[in-house]
Amino acid sequence: MLVALAGNPNTGKSTIFNALTGMKQHVGNWPGVTVEKKEGETEIEGTRVKVVDLPGTYSLTAYTMEEIITRNFIIEEKPDVIVDIIDASNLERNLYLLTELLELHSKIVVVLNMFDEAQKKYSIDVEKMSRILGLPVITAVGIRGKGIDKLKDKIIHGKFNPKKVEYPEDVERRIEEIVELIKPLNIEPARWYAIKILENDAEVHKKVAELGGKDILHRAEHLRHEIEDIYGDDIESLMTSFRYSFAHGLFHEVAEPINVGGVTITDMIDHVVTHKIFGLPIFLAIMYLAFQFVFLVAAPFQDAIDLIFNGKSTATGHIPGLVDLSYNWMLQFMPAWLSSFINHGMLRGLGAVLTFTPVIMLLFLILSFLEDSGYLARVAFLMDSIMKKMGLEGRGIIPLMLGFGCNVPAVMATRTLKDEKERRLSIALNPLIPCGARIQVFAFISSIFFPSNPALVLWSLLILSMVVVFVLGYIYSKTIFRSKSEPFVLELPPYRMPTLKGISIHMWEKSEGFLRKAGTIIVGAAAIIWIFAALPWGVGYGSPDSYIGMFARWIAPIGTAFGLTPEAIISLIFGFFAKEVVIDVLYVLYGSKEAIYYAMSPIQAYSFMLFMLFYTPCVATLATIYNETKSKKFTFFVILEGFALAALFSFAFYTLTSILGVSV
Amino acid sequence: MLLSELKPGEYGIVKKIKGTGALHRRLLSMGLLPGAIVRVVRISPLGDPVEYEIRGFFISLRKQEASFVEVDKVTPLSFIPRNSDVRVVFIDGGVGFVQNMGAMGIAVGKRLKIIAPCCPMQVKTEKGVFTLGRGMAYRVFVR
Ligand SMILES: Nc1nc2c(ncn2[C@@H]2O[C@H](COP(=O)(O)OP(=O)(O)O)[C@@H](O)[C@H]2O)c(=O)[nH]1
Ligand SMILES: [Mg+2]
Repeated sequence: MLVALAGNPNTGKSTIFNALTGMKQHVGNWPGVTVEKKEGETEIEGTRVKVVDLPGTYSLTAYTMEEIITRNFIIEEKPDVIVDIIDASNLERNLYLLTELLELHSKIVVVLNMFDEAQKKYSIDVEKMSRILGLPVITAVGIRGKGIDKLKDKIIHGKFNPKKVEYPEDVERRIEEIVELIKPLNIEPARWYAIKILENDAEVHKKVAELGGKDILHRAEHLRHEIEDIYGDDIESLMTSFRYSFAHGLFHEVAEPINVGGVTITDMIDHVVTHKIFGLPIFLAIMYLAFQFVFLVAAPFQDAIDLIFNGKSTATGHIPGLVDLSYNWMLQFMPAWLSSFINHGMLRGLGAVLTFTPVIMLLFLILSFLEDSGYLARVAFLMDSIMKKMGLEGRGIIPLMLGFGCNVPAVMATRTLKDEKERRLSIALNPLIPCGARIQVFAFISSIFFPSNPALVLWSLLILSMVVVFVLGYIYSKTIFRSKSEPFVLELPPYRMPTLKGISIHMWEKSEGFLRKAGTIIVGAAAIIWIFAALPWGVGYGSPDSYIGMFARWIAPIGTAFGLTPEAIISLIFGFFAKEVVIDVLYVLYGSKEAIYYAMSPIQAYSFMLFMLFYTPCVATLATIYNETKSKKFTFFVILEGFALAALFSFAFYTLTSILGVSV
Repeated sequence: MLLSELKPGEYGIVKKIKGTGALHRRLLSMGLLPGAIVRVVRISPLGDPVEYEIRGFFISLRKQEASFVEVDKVTPLSFIPRNSDVRVVFIDGGVGFVQNMGAMGIAVGKRLKIIAPCCPMQVKTEKGVFTLGRGMAYRVFVR
């Protein structure tokens, strides 16, 4: 048996899906999170039932992916029963989708979810609603698992005798004419197709044309114009109005409002958090606290993981970590180069992957809290007019801000953007934001070369990156990432207390996805880096005699154009693996802080930092970008973009200062 | 006038959604249809977008998008001060509610005079003087 869950976004579909199937799936508080199809299984009275969580939609037109997915699923997979999850506290609009579902399917179980919230707004006559609709109607409170048993019962034993949504007589007549005309095409449900043909639905139009129904479409166009003339409006407005008046009528038949026009808690909260003057500072404060929380709490875990894998060098010697211990142990039964490859290459790579997990878990803990509570929708509301200029909706600010911490979770956080083009644009910009690791390197280098004012130097880099992100975003959004500009109609849901279950499912899903998919790529890359750094066998790791060293010497003449020393180039190559190691590599290659200071001029050092600010994202970020976009071409584009900006700024700075003879 | 021209706290009754395509259709399926009442809730601190209440839920629209919606400005009866003369333009309720109001002479197109302001308020209709509670006065829109 196949059951599909349909409904508006944010009505508790995923919550009920989880309660039905026990399967892990994200529970969010954001219109449109469920873009992909989620499946699960349950057993009701001995019958195996496959349950599908369809994307949340407000209607079933052919204008958005979610809507097309939903209706095609119903038409093609022919589920035995559709469960329409309705947010009972927002009854009228939710009933509109039901009117569309009624045209597609006859076996619909109506679930009045969020009944706890609904009862504060109106009293609903459930019996009467069931009688009028001719469908099973049940009440539920998804977060407390209430109503799930009743739902299961109705899925199996429900009686369906659905009411037809009727249009005015002169419209009905024309619908029936089209129903007759399309009989030879053998498309079901015929009435739905006839209505969509009349409405000039793009997808249906295409399908009918392909089936050779050109004449039918012609006739339908004529009928459509007749209706538009009679009612003096366009067909879409008219048909939607007719269906809405059904929903409106039903709503007033079954619901008696209580407490009209009172002040709600949501309104009071919004009064503060979207306040003219305090709204933006509050947003920045929340982000700051979230940021501090994530990176402060994650830090000891990351240090611990690092300690376990890599050990620690102290004044008195080196405490070996897992990598060293395992290396020595394997030496007993395999050649040194193989043990080194396994341990210094792959095992160390695994350690690197694991150190990312605390940040990712905590970040998604915070993010899903913000999302589920409803605050993220307010962020969109607050930031929209700034972000719009760079082709993003308001929520696009979040991944960019997270980028200052770590680009890996930041890239993952772009999932909050619904529009695919916007997502890509946002991902393309993200690595240009210097992550914590890069900022750490900049702070170190600035303190060596600009001891009188390292903070100013650091700020100049941060501001430059923000300007570049903004300008590039503007250019991209007008050119390669130009979105077909989906309307940005955002629902601002009431504030809700997120549930622990919902948040932990979300957190687990993200971290597991990262570990499994991106993790594999990172370990692989670590192995490759080892090959270049440790071979030919016998040379010092990453020394000028290794392949990396040879490559650095070979490329050194080009490096001089940017003021980069061969050692700096080697450090950048290692930085590709993890940006923070740039400091260690410089240290090892030069031997001391003083030696670094004498090896480069301050101009060279600044040019080096400019290069490092933009050049390729680290392996982990690239793996995540690939994992999120599944596009090699796009991932390659991000690398290219980075190098182009790095070369541009570093070259321009270095040549200009040489020409002008500036020295610090 | 256009929806984008209304100020926070003001109400409009939708006359027409202009344009075609995705935006047009999205607004329609949100219930922004001729005859629907919209309230302007607040403007984003940076001036755009704007939050609206419609059919009991809240959406945010960019001004540019809201300018596709033509409205007439209306006011809930409960906001009207003493001694004003107004005309009913819309009653937000089901058949039963509309009938009850009609019995008091409150129907679309009828004139009312406010004797005492909300709430409860007293209005004079062609059928006499009646007292309305907040729940009722809030659902009658006048101009
Ligand atoms: N008060 C209340 N909240 C609920 C109920 N069901 C779900 N929620 C919350 O509503 C939000 C949206 O739920 P979700 O399942 O993600 O909705 P979906 O977008 O339709 O999949 C989450 O924060 C849930 O915790 C309910 O019956 N009552
Ligand atoms: Mg969902």
